[in-house]
Amino acid sequence: MGRSKAGEWGPRVRRRAAAARGWVERHALSLLGLVTATVLAIMLYLPVGLVFADAVLDRGALTLSAFVDVLTDPFYVGVLADIFAEPLAVRSHIEGVASWLAAVSVSISLEAPIPGLEVPIPWPRVDAPAVRTGLFGFTAYQALCSTVASVVLGLPGAYVLANYEFRGRKTLRSLTIVPFVLPGIMVAVGFYAMFGRSGTLNGLLGLVGIGPYSFIEGNPLAVVIVAHAFYNAPLVARITVAAWESIDARTVETARSLGASPRRAFRDVVVPQLLPAVLTGALLTFIFTFMTFPIVLALGGLQLATVEVWIYDRVRRLAYGEAATLAVLETLLSLGLTYAYLRYESAQAGLARTASSPTRTPLFPNLRTALSPRRVAIGIYGLVALVVFVGPIASLLVGSVTDGDGLTLRHFAFLLERQFEGASYQTLPAVAVRNSLVFGVATLLIAVPMGVVISTVTVRAGRGGKLVDTLAMAPLAVSGVVFGIGLLQGLVFGIPLPGGWRFQVTGAVAIAAAHAVAAYPFVTRNVSPLLASLDPALVESARALGAPRYRALVDVELPLVASGIVAGAAFAFAISIGEFSSTVILAGGNDTYTMPVAVERYLGRRSGPAIAMGTILLFVTAASFVVVDRVGGRFER
Amino acid sequence: MKRRTFVTGVGASGVAGVAGCLTRDVEDDADGNETDDREPADPDLEGELTVATYTSMVDGDNPAGPWLKDAFEAEYPDATLTWTVPSQGLNHYISRERQSADFDADVYLGLNVDDLVRIDDTLGGGGLFRDLNVDRIDRSGRIRDGLDMGDPHGRVLAYDTGYISLVYDETVVDAPETLEALTEPAYEDALLAQNAQSSDPGRAFLLWTIDAYGEDGYLDYWRSLEDNGIRVLDDWTESYYGSYMNENRPMVVSYSTDQVYASAEGYDMSRHQIAFPDDQGYANPEGMGIFERASELDLAYAFLDFALSSEAQGVIAQRNVQFPAVTSEHVDLDEEFDQYAHEPPEAVTVGYETLRGKLDGWVEDWAREFAGQ
Repeated sequence: MGRSKAGEWGPRVRRRAAAARGWVERHALSLLGLVTATVLAIMLYLPVGLVFADAVLDRGALTLSAFVDVLTDPFYVGVLADIFAEPLAVRSHIEGVASWLAAVSVSISLEAPIPGLEVPIPWPRVDAPAVRTGLFGFTAYQALCSTVASVVLGLPGAYVLANYEFRGRKTLRSLTIVPFVLPGIMVAVGFYAMFGRSGTLNGLLGLVGIGPYSFIEGNPLAVVIVAHAFYNAPLVARITVAAWESIDARTVETARSLGASPRRAFRDVVVPQLLPAVLTGALLTFIFTFMTFPIVLALGGLQLATVEVWIYDRVRRLAYGEAATLAVLETLLSLGLTYAYLRYESAQAGLARTASSPTRTPLFPNLRTALSPRRVAIGIYGLVALVVFVGPIASLLVGSVTDGDGLTLRHFAFLLERQFEGASYQTLPAVAVRNSLVFGVATLLIAVPMGVVISTVTVRAGRGGKLVDTLAMAPLAVSGVVFGIGLLQGLVFGIPLPGGWRFQVTGAVAIAAAHAVAAYPFVTRNVSPLLASLDPALVESARALGAPRYRALVDVELPLVASGIVAGAAFAFAISIGEFSSTVILAGGNDTYTMPVAVERYLGRRSGPAIAMGTILLFVTAASFVVVDRVGGRFER
Repeated sequence: MKRRTFVTGVGASGVAGVAGCLTRDVEDDADGNETDDREPADPDLEGELTVATYTSMVDGDNPAGPWLKDAFEAEYPDATLTWTVPSQGLNHYISRERQSADFDADVYLGLNVDDLVRIDDTLGGGGLFRDLNVDRIDRSGRIRDGLDMGDPHGRVLAYDTGYISLVYDETVVDAPETLEALTEPAYEDALLAQNAQSSDPGRAFLLWTIDAYGEDGYLDYWRSLEDNGIRVLDDWTESYYGSYMNENRPMVVSYSTDQVYASAEGYDMSRHQIAFPDDQGYANPEGMGIFERASELDLAYAFLDFALSSEAQGVIAQRNVQFPAVTSEHVDLDEEFDQYAHEPPEAVTVGYETLRGKLDGWVEDWAREFAGQ
């Protein structure tokens, strides 16, 4: 095409381009919504639907008998089995409850509630006839304990990170989600290395002449709960910090200038704005720990088995119908909880808020301040955090450079040798690192727009919006093993079509999409509460001035909720790095393995190479989180 | 139902413009699949043989896999051996068979008896693998007695075996003379076992107790073990590297070859003593079989024969740290292996016929005993 001709066409082309850009901008949200819906349909609802169909179909006929079997089995639901079996026998159920209540007595006695420490403390003792809770009851109980522990351990961290200035604060904030990506087996081995009888903690206690204690043997449930807090307290902290940093400092100042004491201002101004974030963290923790699988069996043993353990067993035995039945019940519970929370979250919305960052005070400005009760409390919290979070990780790092004889670098030498001399069918460390990073970035690019779109669509949509939002949370509520089987049956093996065709989705694109599906709820849950609390007038005035909805979102709303987006992006990245089951299932060929997969593959009769690989996983992800936060931080105020 | 979901899927894929999601099965070699197993006059020893196995065969520390590939290709210069490690193990192929999805392997290396039971409980008796014509495997006669896996369909040959035993710390406990002794106060809070639902050694130990106490008595025995404080962790890795190596407990269900590793790693041998209660150990032979839908049948038979050669047996045994499947005159092992790998005086194993149709129930009853209290 001639240059002069192009010049002649120029203005028209420009006009057309401008018109096209205008059209795209006007419809950008709808288009993104459509893409999001498509990804969800293929990567989530199709595979999960295929598996869930097994729960209600028996040789093609619709049946609920599998549910009846589970709900009337005391092994699964404990005492509720009678109620499900005879829901109409209200009188006998009430009598049962009454006679149980009559047998309950409370007394105070001296006990040693701290595992491993024989310190007698007055402890209220409730004597009640044993109630059989069943597998579901126990699972919910340990999830509740784990959630409380995670919130209790996470909130002080969020408080310190949001309110105090100290060297390395930003780096520490970036590193908070590192525990989140560790494969379960690494965490279990790390916990044993930290809390075992010959572990690091007993080694340290031995230096001051006490111990050794059998922490894990003494109270396995407590250790499992601490391990769950290891995973989830950082999540609570991270989400809370994001909300705390977006609190308008002026609202606090206004309250103070009107005569409120600092405590009163905190209670009436800060807490209401933090509560949605804290509860989001608690909800996610509950769902995660309700569906926990490797940690309970690894540290607690079969006595602490959860519903997910049974699902995994059914899947291994290829009894998909039973697995699906249990998984459907699990999912219904999680989604019900999510719906209840979302109703609450929307009731909290409506606080006008523009970001004007709160001021941070130095953590240890001088010795006198450092000895104030508040600083001492922070110091004690720091010590607990060292034991719970740093301890297991540090013990793993030590394990990667030691063997029976002392210090050694041979585990890393194994990785180097494998990298340079390994055959193509073997797992090469550098390839695993590269794949993890590529999938992580791809996930980030897909999940962040998906999460934001869903937030925008659902935030002001009323009750129907809550329902959509709840369904959009399904990736978190669906059992991981069931999701994996669905991907395998639906997408990897393919769905037969007429004419010998098959619909198949595998390979790198599918892995990134599956990761994004698992990750976007974190973006949504980080962004929605902030978005909902923005003054709707901001968007309305932008639109009244002629901005399309998409422009208003990008130019007005997103900058105001940037801290939530960055937190969500970090989670998206973390989910992708830590994801295991759908990665191995969708990998298909041999060259799409990631770092956690490599850890698992190197685990044999010797643990050294796997732990060395886990160390690399730790360093690579820690560095990545710092980068994500630094890059993302540019968009924050 | 399925039709509707796939219509949605296809419609959606069109919208998204996902390319390359539609493939077409080329299944016109229907007669080609019906190759028979009689020895051909002129075997076709050319092509790509795909062998499926578990990760430690190729990805472990000094694994046997790379050696097997090189040696096999040296012996059959026109052949290529390709390893594949399905993430779901054998379930990968059972699922593929059930869904009639395409198939990519000829041989499976690493089958045990309960895999055969699972295949037959899911797909029907004699499924997935071919009935082997052992006449085509000259060296099959070398396999030791007692490593016959009892398959009525003759689908597998053992290539090695391991023994489940107890590993204990002699500075804390003595070797238990009998299984019964484990329920006594001397072994209170001492033993670590693994979850029979998911772990091979865990299931082997459970079957050992079923062999000893019968299907009516084994739960009672486990109740006494539970009263005596046994811990059942998920997998061998957690119980061994996690709990046992961090000295939480002095005894663990493990392999009788433990000292081979302990010596190589420089561990204190007093923590790595082997006990055979009742002078028994539970034998877990590992087998190999040829898939019904194998495309390189002649090479597959050649591979099975090759795996039983003296050299391959020695390498598999020493690199996998398992015992060879062939009698001692057909294999040479290092002295160190002989010194540290212990064989029980009597090997126990529960065969196919006993397990068929019952294994899942036994494991389920056992697991319910512990969980959901």
